[in-house]
Amino acid sequence: MIETIFNDIAMLLSYQFFQHALIGGVISALATSWIGLFLILRHESMISDGIAHTAFGGIALGLLLGINPLFTALAISIIAVLGISYMRKKGIAKSDAAIAVMLALGFSTGLIIISISGGFNVEIFSYLFGSILTIDQTDLLIVSLLGLASICFFGFFYKELLSITFDEESAKITGIPVNYFSFTFNILVAFTIALSIKVIGVILVVALMVLPGLSALQLKRSFRGTMVITVCFSILSIIIGILLSAVYNVATSGVIVFTAAGIFLLAALYRKARDHL
Amino acid sequence: MQKNTVLEFNHVDIIRANDVVIHDASFTINQGDYVGIVGPNGGGKTTLLLAIFGSLPIKNGSIRLFSQKIQTFTDWHRIAYVPQGAIYFDTNFPLTVTELVGLGRITRGKIGRPLKKTDWTAVNECLDLMGISDIGKKRIGSLSGGQKQRMFIAKALVRNPEILILDEPVAGIDATGLENFYKLLSDLNLKKNLTILIVSHDLSSVFCRMTKLLCVNRKVYMSNITREIDPNIVLKKVYGEHFHFVFHDHECKGGFHHD
Repeated sequence: MIETIFNDIAMLLSYQFFQHALIGGVISALATSWIGLFLILRHESMISDGIAHTAFGGIALGLLLGINPLFTALAISIIAVLGISYMRKKGIAKSDAAIAVMLALGFSTGLIIISISGGFNVEIFSYLFGSILTIDQTDLLIVSLLGLASICFFGFFYKELLSITFDEESAKITGIPVNYFSFTFNILVAFTIALSIKVIGVILVVALMVLPGLSALQLKRSFRGTMVITVCFSILSIIIGILLSAVYNVATSGVIVFTAAGIFLLAALYRKARDHL
Repeated sequence: MQKNTVLEFNHVDIIRANDVVIHDASFTINQGDYVGIVGPNGGGKTTLLLAIFGSLPIKNGSIRLFSQKIQTFTDWHRIAYVPQGAIYFDTNFPLTVTELVGLGRITRGKIGRPLKKTDWTAVNECLDLMGISDIGKKRIGSLSGGQKQRMFIAKALVRNPEILILDEPVAGIDATGLENFYKLLSDLNLKKNLTILIVSHDLSSVFCRMTKLLCVNRKVYMSNITREIDPNIVLKKVYGEHFHFVFHDHECKGGFHHD
């Protein structure tokens, strides 16, 4: 039986659509893992869920206007993060409430647009739940560019971000332009969510963002170690998800998140066991 | 010997949240001074520190750091700061002691540049100096209060500053740790001629160890600390007429700084 699975996988790997899916998946894993880890450390995990749901409005708008929905989703995501940080800064609402406002606004807009136009119910499903196996070249290009921007920023500025995340006030005094970094980080959150929509869909983006980082944190390593483990868990979840879903013909995003949740469970058990020794 | 002035306040009003918190502050701090900043809570001690970093707007007067006006000052690596309550961080934060101290090497001019070998050498030297090189690989959340405090001072010193500023650093340290902590600061002050400003409620330690006293309560009073000066004269100005501090030389376990 295992032999047949390997044969199936070997055959799949020779297909271009499958290669594209794997490339897109790995890029998405790299981008979401670092953003996700920082969101956890900043106590802002739910922002990814809020933005993703808001992006749903952007997707519906794109489908209605005949624009690639990833573009409109990106635009709406950026507006959403800026809106959330504006409400927070001006004292209109705290983080969680501001996220709720944006989520409600974006998702309801999406529903209205869908019910008015009626026609694209099937396609909208692929954005709600992801459809990495049907990723085309344009989408892959968008995913790659957004992912590259996010990964480069992390490569250059991770220590400044780390310093801000650990203690914002001290970072400011040290001479780090905190406002500039926070703004860019927020924009990259929007980038990462937009690029993950194809892979995992708006509903489960939060799982891909949070689970790998949270699992890695259970192992109590250095920052470098935690980062490497987060990336490994994320890539592992996505590759297992893509392979198993292709072989057994089940929903990819479901398998990806199920795997990530399984890893989290094991990591949490490991931590508990180690704490008791 | 003429001492170099490192910090100078000249009739400064400091504003925080549209309110003048400190009024008409004038004082001078020289290289090698070991300054205890005291005063009642809410009197503006932290506000004063934030003004030194240019983080708060000032009205009237001028602040000069190393003879440069604060508005145009750029050599921020010459000053290091350990904020109030630094040791109360999220204990799950994934950093080792070495990694955290390494973050202290980031300065305004070096944003986006990776840390080099010389940076890590400086980190190791500071861990050595603070006597915590053996816990460099430990996670910061697993340390004791005293170790955390040493780690944050290492993070401050790794910038090779000429002024070290600490805001209430002794909260959360036990009595023995406290004695070692003050001894360490005295050593840094004497051996490296490091200028130290420290906000403290521990008046005995201030009078035992330090050379200058800065009393802050809306207004600022500076005094030298010597055997001849009765501490109460200046303390009463900020704590009120009914305040009386009984100070005995023999309380200074490490010896009075002038001995």
